[in-house]
Amino acid sequence: MTEVQIAGLGMWSPTFSNWEAFSNGINTGVWQAGVELQPALIPAKERRRAPQSVKLAVEVMTQACKLAFLDPAETAAVFSSAMGDMQITDYLCQTLATAPRAVSPTRFHNSVHNATTGYWSITSQSHTATSAISAYTYTASMAFLEAAIQCLEDQTPVLLVTQEMAAPKLLHDTCPSNQPFSAAMLLTSAGHCPNPIASVGFSISKKTCNWPKLPADLRQQLEGNFGARLLPLLATIAANGFTRDKTPVNLEFPLTANSCLRLSVTA
Amino acid sequence: MRIDVLSYTATTALGHGIDSIRDAITSKCSGLRHNDLDWCDLDTWIGRVKSVESTVLPAHLEHLQSRNNQLAWLGLQQDGILDVLDKLIGQIGADRIGVVMGTSTSSIGRTEEAYACLDSSGDMLEAYHQPEVHNLHSQGIFVARATGLNGPSLTISTACSSSAKVFATAARWIKYGLVDAVLVGGVDSLCLSVLYGFNSLELLSAQACRPFDQHRDGISIGEASGFAILTRERLVPGAEFALLGYGESSDAYHMSHPHPDGKGAILAMDQALVRSRLPSTAIDYINLHGTASKANDQVETFAVAQRFSAQTLASSTKGWTGHTLGTAGILEAIITLEAMKSNIAPGTLNCTFPDSGFAFPILTQNTRKTINYAMTNSFGFGGNNATLIFGRTND
Repeated sequence: MTEVQIAGLGMWSPTFSNWEAFSNGINTGVWQAGVELQPALIPAKERRRAPQSVKLAVEVMTQACKLAFLDPAETAAVFSSAMGDMQITDYLCQTLATAPRAVSPTRFHNSVHNATTGYWSITSQSHTATSAISAYTYTASMAFLEAAIQCLEDQTPVLLVTQEMAAPKLLHDTCPSNQPFSAAMLLTSAGHCPNPIASVGFSISKKTCNWPKLPADLRQQLEGNFGARLLPLLATIAANGFTRDKTPVNLEFPLTANSCLRLSVTA
Repeated sequence: MRIDVLSYTATTALGHGIDSIRDAITSKCSGLRHNDLDWCDLDTWIGRVKSVESTVLPAHLEHLQSRNNQLAWLGLQQDGILDVLDKLIGQIGADRIGVVMGTSTSSIGRTEEAYACLDSSGDMLEAYHQPEVHNLHSQGIFVARATGLNGPSLTISTACSSSAKVFATAARWIKYGLVDAVLVGGVDSLCLSVLYGFNSLELLSAQACRPFDQHRDGISIGEASGFAILTRERLVPGAEFALLGYGESSDAYHMSHPHPDGKGAILAMDQALVRSRLPSTAIDYINLHGTASKANDQVETFAVAQRFSAQTLASSTKGWTGHTLGTAGILEAIITLEAMKSNIAPGTLNCTFPDSGFAFPILTQNTRKTINYAMTNSFGFGGNNATLIFGRTND
């Protein structure tokens, strides 16, 4: 089993505004309510044009780099979301159905799946490799694998984002997501950061498995959110970081219809 | 680094399969035509693939119906790529072969259709209840099912660099040992989003696009599918070409304008050269991104001039196929491999009056030259850049 380390974490949903608040919620059962997204450091000119999905991603990516004391200019980025910005998709499809020539140029260029990493690279002045991916319901686990392999093969820290927004009515059957969620994990190879938050060994197993249950407090809110499917990993890190018990915890996430991603987590 | 290219195919406005590209390049015939889509009224030229609409998906894939998946299916039927894949499955097993697709449109065209004919309660009609289609991974799901591949499956969507980056991801997967081979591909299809979207940005030309011409005034959007089977070195004897290097970078400048000094472009080319351990003088031919937009062509020639001398031939082939967006990366990688195979560097179709303000000379005419090493550039919105370098295996 090969290993990557998580050097920094960033998180946001309406009930937690960062890793500390999430970790606190997992360990105490006390959650925030109605958290407003504070726009991160996106330059003013870009911020006016940036959609909510971009602001959310840039926020958690910034949080993760800060927690790791790592310069964003040194990290590659893999943004993942099954659906991309569904509000923009909904707007584009509605407008195209009624008045196609009225399509907003800004909304169109924001509709690319890599809008998040585009704004992120502008904000962080980072010229490193960035990617934007989807594997539909398997997006979060495939994104972890993709980012971890890039981290090890290209010998670079990789900022992994798993995100999904709330689905508009017409896309809800495709993605039953009711609340936005975003998490950023800054993956590094062993020894890159002196004090990683967690070590995660990973391997592929040729068998089927079910998605591990989300923490009970968050189940109703984030059950249908494909970006939140790695939450059990983050909850394990939060719970273990709180105790002195350093026994690795094993987790399995579906990767394809007939294989799963096995993670061994030490925090 | 060496990742073997076992087989490849492409389907474009020039026709179905590789021969159509070969013939059109030799005869200098463009596949572009004035927009004749009955669902789009824009005065522009398009690269439309013949018979996409009449392509029938097999029964077990019918529920994945979309123009994009029809184009994927049509593309998979060409050049015997499925036979090569079946043989490879027999040799190493479907579990050891991954699927990495690149796209910018995915099946959004199908979602557009669904929105245009909602029922009286404002819901999608039954025929459009297709969750596996209305998402960005639609073509990944389709191609994995159509080929029977069981390895990890992923879609990369970084605008116009998408299917160049599939080579980088596949190379990493193979080097890491996740899989022994990857079917990489790109599929982008004509749809309202991209036609009216690029129209809103005033980037569409009212003529067939003229890359690097002083009178160039915008892009022509094309649709295409392209596939290649990549394997670890010498997994199957007989691979003629190999991926030797890749580079990926960000402009960090603007969402829809390239960095004025080509910073990201230069970084991507430099990385690809470093990975391939080649000096820039070794590159015989570059297939440029060359979209025919004012900004791209200016910046790209500047960037290329910072690293290459005029002995490297460089051209854009978008005058033949149009800008196939997320599929441009793999399509132009395949055209690059074809240039190596024929030792003919394609010229730049429709470039009649090369812009004299460029820092690098553009190849306008098809030119015979031994091409041992070749490079291809793909640059996308969001300042997302990818460069690939290919060479001969000499096995």
